[in-house]
Amino acid sequence: MGEIRQIAIYGKGGIGKSTTTQNLTAGLCEHGKKVMVVGCDPKADSTRLLLGGLAQKTVLDTIRDEGEDIELDLILKEGYGGTKCVESGGPEPGVGCAGRGIITSINMLENLGAYTDDLDYVFYDVLGDVVCGGFAMPIREGKAKEIYIVASGEMMALYAANNISKGIQRYARTGGVRLGGIICNSRNVDRELDLLRAFSKELGTKLLYFVPRDNIVQHAEINKKTVIEYKPDSNQAQEYRNLAQAVIENTDFVIPTPMTQERLEEILMEYGMMELADDYKI
Amino acid sequence: MAINTGNSNLATRENRIGSITGYVGSLKDLATQSECGTLKGCSRCFSQSSTCLSSCGLGQLAGIRDVAIIHHGPAGCSVASAGAYYMTKVMAKKRGVTSDTVYVGTDMNENDTIFGSTEKLRDIILEVNKRYSPKAIFVSSSCATGIIGEDIDSIVDDVREEVGVPIVAVHCEGFKSRIWATGFDISDHAILQEIVQPPREGVKTNKINFKNFFESARPEIIEMFKNFDLDPVFLYCNSTIEELSHLSESLATTCICGTLGNYLGNGLEEKYGVPYVRSINQCGIVGFETWLREIGKVTGRSEKIEKYIEEQRAIYIPQIEEVKKEIKGLTAVLGMGPGYTFEVSRVLEELGIKVVWALAWHYDKKYENGDVPPSMKYLLDNDIDFEASVADQQNYEVMNILNKYKPDMYLSRHPGSTVWAIKNGTPAIYVADEYMIFGYKHTLEFANTILDAIRNRSFEANLAARTKLPYTDWWYQQNVDAFLEEVK
Repeated sequence: MGEIRQIAIYGKGGIGKSTTTQNLTAGLCEHGKKVMVVGCDPKADSTRLLLGGLAQKTVLDTIRDEGEDIELDLILKEGYGGTKCVESGGPEPGVGCAGRGIITSINMLENLGAYTDDLDYVFYDVLGDVVCGGFAMPIREGKAKEIYIVASGEMMALYAANNISKGIQRYARTGGVRLGGIICNSRNVDRELDLLRAFSKELGTKLLYFVPRDNIVQHAEINKKTVIEYKPDSNQAQEYRNLAQAVIENTDFVIPTPMTQERLEEILMEYGMMELADDYKI
Repeated sequence: MAINTGNSNLATRENRIGSITGYVGSLKDLATQSECGTLKGCSRCFSQSSTCLSSCGLGQLAGIRDVAIIHHGPAGCSVASAGAYYMTKVMAKKRGVTSDTVYVGTDMNENDTIFGSTEKLRDIILEVNKRYSPKAIFVSSSCATGIIGEDIDSIVDDVREEVGVPIVAVHCEGFKSRIWATGFDISDHAILQEIVQPPREGVKTNKINFKNFFESARPEIIEMFKNFDLDPVFLYCNSTIEELSHLSESLATTCICGTLGNYLGNGLEEKYGVPYVRSINQCGIVGFETWLREIGKVTGRSEKIEKYIEEQRAIYIPQIEEVKKEIKGLTAVLGMGPGYTFEVSRVLEELGIKVVWALAWHYDKKYENGDVPPSMKYLLDNDIDFEASVADQQNYEVMNILNKYKPDMYLSRHPGSTVWAIKNGTPAIYVADEYMIFGYKHTLEFANTILDAIRNRSFEANLAARTKLPYTDWWYQQNVDAFLEEVK
């Protein structure tokens, strides 16, 4: 049994981090991998597709109700394909400190021995941007060593990805955290593939996988399932299996080189403004 | 700068009036830069510990009789309660009154930090109100509640009707200012916001608001003001909420220390038209006379005041002149808050003592009304100059200066500071009591204290010979500003 690959998924809010993470997890399960998903979002919706609904009691709610002397099975539920699912949880919108909540719940998971030797992968699905120290917790202190940023060809998604890279660069200097690549969750914008390739190159990384847009993802979500569970024979299910394969095989881990706002805008001007046919396939 | 009591969150001194904590140069340069508006503070790449503004702010409010301070934060933040209780009880006893003021911490824990704890705060406020029936409640934030944006203002508004006594949100996040005197302004702001009421129709008074720390010279000042038909109201130590509610009716506001009093003074003037006495303070002969004359002008009592000055001069000036002969030519270094250091420097010059260096723990380049502090203006107008620096009690800089200049004495209003000087072999005078140099009588006593301190220096010499201080020779050879960073 090798070392657990701990992976943090970042990206702009609403880009599809949770959907991508859970479908990727389902793909890894099909490869026989043991996976734990840790939702780091106060909304606690990072494991909904794996668990078939928001059945999970969060770590923080549990600590609040039961005190600190709790058993792991109170907060760790088994989902699709034997995945272990945990939701960090957090305060109501507009009060308290969600960042501190993540710090507390991840420490609690460690103390309770959630990181068992049989795990191959642990995913941290982190809310939106790295807004404060709390949201960087998964990539600090030797937890997640590998990061993937979910992005699309939209300006704000790339802006957020660049910003997140600054956070990664900061912790890469002192810890072992590295960027594994960009995952494009396509929004069907002009020349999206070219743009993402150019953007990834500028960041010093690569476009790990391009997930095409397909309404079946929406249908699966409404049914509280991953696409792999909902329609295993669909094209989109295969795309997620391919993504899982790409993650398994990935060995390119870099310290990102975030760009200036001016450079980011240059790249957007170059690739985002023209309608040109392109048959590039990854 | 306009004082806005509509918002409970007061900006820091740095932001509001451009105060600084880092400068090394000369008094003249500091004053000139202040006047023309070019003064910028430096930061330090190394800093010794300093103090927290919440102790200043809440310490002031805790001095008021029969109120409740609710410090919303982790247990450690309300550590100041011990000191506040001690001070409140001792000061009340000294005056012969009782104070049932309580200082309560909310003991915020990890869960409260994550989820917010305004509901718990509400329960605590209501319980404190029920249990202690305070005359007013001050609900303070802390660093933790400040970071998570705990909405104490809304809770305070919500419970206002239910508690039935004045209740104010006080924003005391320690990290927001390096200048602890910001805490004084925060307490004044709370008082102006909720406690002071508009003047009552038809009420005539001969009261004068006197902002000070611990009212140690209270009987003496009451006696003195009787000569001018004035009745001083001392703030905030041992004040009652009833007294404070009528501050707007007084003839004027004055203070013992500009750093302490200028926000309240300007606020009362701006909001209610109560004149604020702007003069150098009461230390020394010139200070005392200038201050009295300004009060005479503001309250229309010049004649009585001139008579008093004449009588007192006859008693004390000859005696002061006698002592001056013995202390003339001595050299001094001072380290005090800016409200005192430039006033005491003036007195020392008046007594014939040469100030070689004055440190101010911070520096206000102007006060709330936009004027350069009167103490600085006086020194500048009278062509007095010496080396000066601004350091938030950075002891290593004090020690460097004492070693370089080897003055005859070091004067400070902060107890730890004088101990270091003595261990260094420098006779030190702890100007502890705020009234230690007040008026003719205490100026005379002060001159005698100086004489006592420098006549027999064997204590300092012996102590220094047996003490090893932690500073290296390397440090003593450096310039005082070695750790100051360029202005950005």
